[in-house]
Amino acid sequence: MLNIENLKASYGKVEVLHGVSISVPKGKVVTLIGSNGAGKTTTMRAVSGMIKPVAGKITLGDRDITGLESHQIAKLGLAHSPEGRRVFPTLSVLDNIRLGAFVRYTNARPKGDVEADLQRALEMFPRLKERTTQLAGTLSGGEQQMLAMARAVMLNPEVVLLDEPSMGLAPILVEEVFNIIQRLKAQGVTMLLVEQFAAAALNVADYGYVLENGRIAVHGPAEKLKSDPAVKAAYLGGH
Amino acid sequence: MEIFLQLIYSGIALGMIYGVIAFGYQLTFATSGTLNFGQGESLMLGALVGLSLVGNIHGGPYLNYWLMIPLVIIFGAFQGAFVEWIGVRPAIKIKSEFGWIMSTIALAIIFKNVAENIWGKDDLKFPSPLPESPIKLFGANVLPMEIVVVVGALLMMAAVEVFNRKSIYGKAVVATSNDRDAASLMGINTSAVITFSYALSSVTAAVAGVLVAPLTLTGATMGAVLGLKAFAVAIIGGLNSGLGIIVGGLILGIAETTTGFYISTGYKDVPGLVLLLLVLAVKPAGLFGKMAIKKV
Repeated sequence: MLNIENLKASYGKVEVLHGVSISVPKGKVVTLIGSNGAGKTTTMRAVSGMIKPVAGKITLGDRDITGLESHQIAKLGLAHSPEGRRVFPTLSVLDNIRLGAFVRYTNARPKGDVEADLQRALEMFPRLKERTTQLAGTLSGGEQQMLAMARAVMLNPEVVLLDEPSMGLAPILVEEVFNIIQRLKAQGVTMLLVEQFAAAALNVADYGYVLENGRIAVHGPAEKLKSDPAVKAAYLGGH
Repeated sequence: MEIFLQLIYSGIALGMIYGVIAFGYQLTFATSGTLNFGQGESLMLGALVGLSLVGNIHGGPYLNYWLMIPLVIIFGAFQGAFVEWIGVRPAIKIKSEFGWIMSTIALAIIFKNVAENIWGKDDLKFPSPLPESPIKLFGANVLPMEIVVVVGALLMMAAVEVFNRKSIYGKAVVATSNDRDAASLMGINTSAVITFSYALSSVTAAVAGVLVAPLTLTGATMGAVLGLKAFAVAIIGGLNSGLGIIVGGLILGIAETTTGFYISTGYKDVPGLVLLLLVLAVKPAGLFGKMAIKKV
């Protein structure tokens, strides 16, 4: 579904990604793990058009999306829940969720039953259902993360990019976030998941890639990566 | 007392005009972090284009006053989009922090020169669509057109507010103001939103221009001072507070008319500008300005 081939990206003159290739098949959850500064978020940002790739090719389905603007990529069905959640603080929870479906309300993507999807999203995130009229800026970190994920699925996406959904959350909320990822997976949502909690990410994922200094160091089925001694030592140690 | 009340009325009408122009500054500042320093010239062009349609200067009158307003709205939208396209977009693209300041000022000067060549350098009389004899309101005189200015200004601001709250496109504008990158990820074309906010900002100024023109003289130089004072209002009220610009506008407008009468017209601009300096010294975010809610 999503194919990243030999992606290179840089901030200013500093190249951060030196040729990253990742494949996310339809209906699968693929995780990208690695230490801070390895280039995980940069990869996500390059895929969704927040930064322009220097080289490489990114395809979504059979469409080449390399170098397109973020809003064009969203219209083609790529939802990106960015690092730091980035909810719209002065809008209500409900309006934030609705904006996730902006391209459907405006018929840039097939509208489908957007109101029914809205109800379904609220059922899936009960914490949000109690707070629909509250301003998103007043939510707790965990609630903002739920909101960012609800917003992403409202696109009715072909692929969801989830960047560090557990960042800064209390352990109980981290568990809740992973439960939701599990449920989305059961619904057949295709996901590329960036996580620092490598063990949890590999538990939910079908396939994993390990990013080191802007290059893919190892990749393989999640089960296999979990038992890979090098991966264990570097990313799963002590857990 | 009667005179005082009358001065308050004129001050309110004047203040609402400042408020509308300040509102225009807010619209573009919210979406793009930039302002059109030629906002006063947008008002002036709107007024003069309106005058050409309803006055007898260019072989007219062609239209009645109320039918002219939709055409001025269209003109304002194109004028604002033009400013954004020529003056602001290039600066945003290269992330220049100050480029847009000079380019919008340059465009303002060009607009003023063009206006001087088309409409001349002298002030012109704008025919009033309503009787020019005052009516009594709570014992003091008020011009019917002054009431139209106040109602029109409030209606314009309310219309934008309703659009922002109720329509998905309006919410997209608010989302762009909150976080431009995140808005793009929702599929919102944020450059188009910024162009739209410039168009809308010039529309409000152009309409304000044809509302205020029958009360004042109309000419190429009318915009500069209004634009500057409205900027003071935006700073006094706060660049992100809708209530602030109305209150700020009223304070400045009333201060001006009362000082002009009781002290000297030569000093009429002083109280408002002193207030501006005070606000900047004591509460730089404006009287009603608030810090953005940020929570991680």
